[in-house]
Amino acid sequence: MKLMDNPAVANIVKSTIAFAILIALWQVVGQLTHAPEHIVPLPSKIGEVFVRTFTSQLHHLGATGFATVCGLALALVVGVLLAIAVIYFASIKGAVLTVLAAFNSIPKIAVAPLFVIWFGLGIESKILLAFLLAIFPVFVNSVTGLGEIEKDMLDLSKISGGNEWRIFTKVRLMHALPYIADSLKVAFPLALVGAIVGEFIGGNRGIGYLILSAQFNMDTALVFAALLSITIFTTLGVGVVVLFEYLFLGWRPSQRTT
Amino acid sequence: MTTLAAAPVVVRGLSKSFKSVVALQDVSLTVGDRQFVTIVGPSGCGKSTLLRLICGLIPATSGDVSVRGRRVTAPITDVGMVFQAPVLMPWRTTLDNILFVAEMRGESASRYKARALELIGLAGLAGFEQRRPHELSGGMQQRVAICRALLLNPPLILMDEPFGALDVITRERMGFELEKIWNLSKTTVIFVTHSISESVLLSDRIIVMSARPGRIVQAFDVDLPRPRGRELLSHPAFVRLSAQVRACIEDASMAPV
Repeated sequence: MKLMDNPAVANIVKSTIAFAILIALWQVVGQLTHAPEHIVPLPSKIGEVFVRTFTSQLHHLGATGFATVCGLALALVVGVLLAIAVIYFASIKGAVLTVLAAFNSIPKIAVAPLFVIWFGLGIESKILLAFLLAIFPVFVNSVTGLGEIEKDMLDLSKISGGNEWRIFTKVRLMHALPYIADSLKVAFPLALVGAIVGEFIGGNRGIGYLILSAQFNMDTALVFAALLSITIFTTLGVGVVVLFEYLFLGWRPSQRTT
Repeated sequence: MTTLAAAPVVVRGLSKSFKSVVALQDVSLTVGDRQFVTIVGPSGCGKSTLLRLICGLIPATSGDVSVRGRRVTAPITDVGMVFQAPVLMPWRTTLDNILFVAEMRGESASRYKARALELIGLAGLAGFEQRRPHELSGGMQQRVAICRALLLNPPLILMDEPFGALDVITRERMGFELEKIWNLSKTTVIFVTHSISESVLLSDRIIVMSARPGRIVQAFDVDLPRPRGRELLSHPAFVRLSAQVRACIEDASMAPV
């Protein structure tokens, strides 16, 4: 029972139980009502399909995952660089923020066909769509994290002899890390949306393609199995960010245990 | 004249306006070598502005400041600073927060580690070297900030109401401890406060400023023996001087001409 005293362990156990109850309920209600398999397949059936198609799932997840991670990495680099530009060149801040806000108001899914026209049916259009969806949260949080620093802290750095580079690496960037990590938790699922929408529009690889072809064949269980794959993938991705926070950002208020 | 030029801080005819608000008007003062000078006055009299002008963080509207014979035109870097808030980096431990000023100067932090640990011991923070600020009490955080200001042995230390955010009991203790630590090094200190007893306890000289626009009303020399302990609080000379300073501040805030 000692293990259950740990709040993290207790949390995992509780959520697992909650999930198990939900799935059991789904299974029982589905069996009792004889819901048609092409509408709502039973969890047991989904599990069976997932296991049977596991290698093909991995193959498609590889393509989607690659596009997602590349798009996310690109969003991280470009988003942080843009934020740095905005912080250090205050005169362009207004212009950049306005243009980005305008771009952000375009439903980005709607430009997906345009990306296919410009960048083709290959991986490039998927990466760029993932990038387009992920960059906004990264940029906005980076501006806050790099910019909103106590004036006294900057004054202290200056009169201690800090030059711009040292103040950037030892104060601004450190201050921004939790903000950027937080934005990745939002940006990761968004990048995934970008990649999957790209696969919906065209191509012959990826989870989006798998879902679409399963839909054509009315293979609902396969659709669900594909959804299960990306859910596991997203959870792992966000888990990596959370692990990073736990290991390196233990000092931030939300991470404190007391 | 040469002694004046070499004095740690010389302020001549200093004025500062923010838009149409005159924060400081024609302030002149000289701080002697290894003197502990306190600036007292009502809130909003421009005490903090004066400190920022002295270390060059903000430019003067007119007049000038010299620190050790050199005119201040940009932030000076051989100065220690303690603010009202501790201003610690939450991601750094006590030790690393103290070493921060060495890193900012581009020096290797490891060179100053022994000095930092010595200061930590002096400030009663032993055992908390590897703790982060959120694990420390307000008084301990401010001790870390004071250690940080002392690390590089700067010839001038500026303190802007360093105990202003602490409770009365902690505040009084910190005053005694600061006096004790200062006696060991005797650097030049300019200390801003609105606590009269704090100013008398700590200073060699007290400068009273008026309400906005801030002007210097009067200066008092404090001729009390050091080290100064708790028993000083009831010493007749202490009580008398406190009363004088209080009367002076009250006059200054009643009639801001």
